[in-house]
Amino acid sequence: MGKEECKTMLDALNKVTACYRHLVIALGSTSDSQNLREELKKTRKKAQELAVANRTKLTTLLKDKTISKDDRAEYERLWVLFSSSMELLEVDMKRSLEIGQDFPLKVPTRHLIQTGMTGSTNAVAARAMSVQNMKYEADSNIDTADLRDLQTEITQVSQMMEEMEMKVQVAPWAVVAKQEAGAELKSNMSVGNSSVGVISICEEEPKDDEGGGGREGGSGSIGAVVVFFVIVAVALVLGYLVVNM
Amino acid sequence: MTIRNALRDHGQRYRPRMACLKKAEKVLLEMQDPCTGVKSQPQRLVITIIPHAITGEDIIAWLADRFQIDAQEARSFGSMLVALGYIYPLQDHKRLVIKPDASLYRFQTPYFWPTQQWPVEDTDYAIYLAKRNIRKKGILELHEQEQYNHLHKWMNHKWDFVVMQAKEQYRAAKERKKPDRVVFDCQERAYWVVHRPPPGTVSAMDYGLDRRTDPNTDETQTPDYYERIMIFTQQSIMRPRVKSSVSIGALVKYSATYSGHDPFLSKCLPSSPWLTDDTTYWTMNMSNVEIPTKMRVERWTFSFKELLSDPRGRDDFRLFLKKEFSGENLAFWEGCEDLKWGTAVTMREKAEQIYKTFLARGAPRWINIDGKTMEITVKGLKHPHRYVLDAAQTHIYMLMKKDSYGRYLKSPVFKETLKKAICPEEHKFNEVQLEQNARNRRPSLSPIIIRQQEQEQRAKMAANAPVDITQLCRFTTPVPHLAVYTGIPDPPSVTASPSLPFLAHTPVCPSPISVALDSTSASERRMEASDGEGNAEVRAPEGGNLSKSRMALSLRRLLKRGCSPSAMFASLSPKCHTAATTSSRIQPITPDEPSQAPPRRIGNFFQIKVDIPPECRIYPIESEDEDEENRPASRDAVVTEEIICPWESLTRQNGTG
Repeated sequence: MGKEECKTMLDALNKVTACYRHLVIALGSTSDSQNLREELKKTRKKAQELAVANRTKLTTLLKDKTISKDDRAEYERLWVLFSSSMELLEVDMKRSLEIGQDFPLKVPTRHLIQTGMTGSTNAVAARAMSVQNMKYEADSNIDTADLRDLQTEITQVSQMMEEMEMKVQVAPWAVVAKQEAGAELKSNMSVGNSSVGVISICEEEPKDDEGGGGREGGSGSIGAVVVFFVIVAVALVLGYLVVNM
Repeated sequence: MTIRNALRDHGQRYRPRMACLKKAEKVLLEMQDPCTGVKSQPQRLVITIIPHAITGEDIIAWLADRFQIDAQEARSFGSMLVALGYIYPLQDHKRLVIKPDASLYRFQTPYFWPTQQWPVEDTDYAIYLAKRNIRKKGILELHEQEQYNHLHKWMNHKWDFVVMQAKEQYRAAKERKKPDRVVFDCQERAYWVVHRPPPGTVSAMDYGLDRRTDPNTDETQTPDYYERIMIFTQQSIMRPRVKSSVSIGALVKYSATYSGHDPFLSKCLPSSPWLTDDTTYWTMNMSNVEIPTKMRVERWTFSFKELLSDPRGRDDFRLFLKKEFSGENLAFWEGCEDLKWGTAVTMREKAEQIYKTFLARGAPRWINIDGKTMEITVKGLKHPHRYVLDAAQTHIYMLMKKDSYGRYLKSPVFKETLKKAICPEEHKFNEVQLEQNARNRRPSLSPIIIRQQEQEQRAKMAANAPVDITQLCRFTTPVPHLAVYTGIPDPPSVTASPSLPFLAHTPVCPSPISVALDSTSASERRMEASDGEGNAEVRAPEGGNLSKSRMALSLRRLLKRGCSPSAMFASLSPKCHTAATTSSRIQPITPDEPSQAPPRRIGNFFQIKVDIPPECRIYPIESEDEDEENRPASRDAVVTEEIICPWESLTRQNGTG
């Protein structure tokens, strides 16, 4: 059904937008690299494809005058979701253009900001592209070459958004959200697992997370100690037996 | 959907130039240099080690070295970088200052740098709060909860998006390694501390209002642009110039006088509410407070403007003037201010009211302004606008300033106030108390309620307004105040009869008249009684030229004296007898009825009220005036013409009246 398709596509777009934002945040910092630029490019392309697909789908649905009122309300809600995603995407793209221009990678003395992030962002990009592992095949001057593409893509997105606003008459403020406040807490994601592994941030919230971290570390270390003592006891027993024999 | 109206678009929607940001970015980049930049060290948390932490003292030392400045300035520069959000503290993350010790900081990623062209969106903040909600499992701080609820309410249409995006971003963040996740959380939290500061703190990115033009666009060099430049330079040339010695001298004097009173430059007793969240300072300096503070009273001595602009000072001054019986000046001045600042709808009525109360002949609270000003004012009152009483107001202001203000400062009223003024003790709050103050902050009285209270007070005062006891009510003394009109083209229009209200300082209307001007009023009453009825104005010409000329003579004699009302009081009392006699001379001519056709204004003065009620009515009775004027035959018509607003009567030639 049209609605389900729409929803899945919107979810995908949402995921890609979120991942793209994570990638852009890493730009200019010490975790910046050629790979990151390539990841950005690929994610962007994917986002655009999804955006176009979503747009065509939703516009056809909304242009249809024969749908019921409830359906129309639902489609308007989806439309608001779509346009908000696109807004975020547009802003992120513009910002990545700026930051990319300010922090070129191929200069002899490059000063990437020492933010403390040193790891790579493959996993995030892989999540965005819905693949297991990212393959990097771009050439080495991607940071400058990509920027030109990026500019054209930004203009495309802006045009698309303007068209959207003109063609589809949806009043975004009239949409009523389905989720109530605090809905994010009711997710079925494994919030519990993640908190165990999170360590205290900046030594300031020891109460919250230190306990979690401590718990895991403590159990590990206690286990190790117990095993150690068991082995020592066994060795002592054997030794005693050997000595006595 | 955007509606663009390019022609008349005066909307302010652009963020101002923030030139400091680009400069700060350059400094940041220099700090990153591995050789010459700031030394970084790894931060050891429970299990992980995160690199690139820098100490406060290192930052300050580097800044002092790089810019060749002293440690104090380097410290404030560093604090500015932290306050803007380029560097964030790892411990004590809510206080955005640089501590010159081993406390750790870290650089912020460029995406989270403050920028002029990218405003901070509430959608992002909502997503961040939702993510934090997930992470903290529903336990947010108080201000975060409030913001969350607020955003949920007004961004409700986007809330689905917010929730979805929050979940996705949370999941995407989990894909990174642990140390990076920690760093990312720190970064995001620091970003929002800068741009959505917790209560009790101020964001360094506050910029006031949005601007009308976009600072990022280049201005095109059209002919219009050059024309604007030309006009500007022409006007600059034509501007009157003051010698810099004079202007600088004035500045120095101003600074010297006011520096002790400036809450930024010197101590604010008891404590500055912006720093300690304690509102004693404001409650002590409210406008209706009984006992003012010493600093406030001292300010009144600086200039008359200071005294008047402070409501408590104005009250004090009003009290003093009441004792001196010249309260009408201040009342008039306040009435003019009210007119200037009031709504356009009420302007006409206010102007009329003021005219009738203060300016007209025989007004109950007549003020003493010179004839020229009076002419201008009355002419202007034909078409009243906001600034019609400006000339008169300035005159009265200068009068008060030169005369009453000096006496006020030497008066017992002021000395009493000065003696009673309090000097509050300085507060000394410790950290705990400061936090408690911050928590106990409550909003003050709504300005709507304050305005209502002020209006009630004003109405009360207006109702109890003293009819200046020196003035008699119009019904008994139709005579204009001669001192006012020095250049009257129509002499007979001004009665010579000095049966002026000024005479004695007796309270109520009838008494001064009866006491001081017994003969006159009696004679006038007789006149009225004999007249019988109506056409009041007829009276005037009736007198015949004979009496008129006599009137004119006595008038001119009076005018030659050129006396002020107070002097008039004394001088006129003997006059009153002569006037009485002259007016009595009119009597026999009474029977001549309305021969002279055009009812001139002058007639009214001679022709006192046809039937004056035995008890004199005290002003104000404005409400009757309008319909009274429409009933020429009625007795009241006579009376009201006394104080007729000049712009209302078109038939009468009371242009100057």
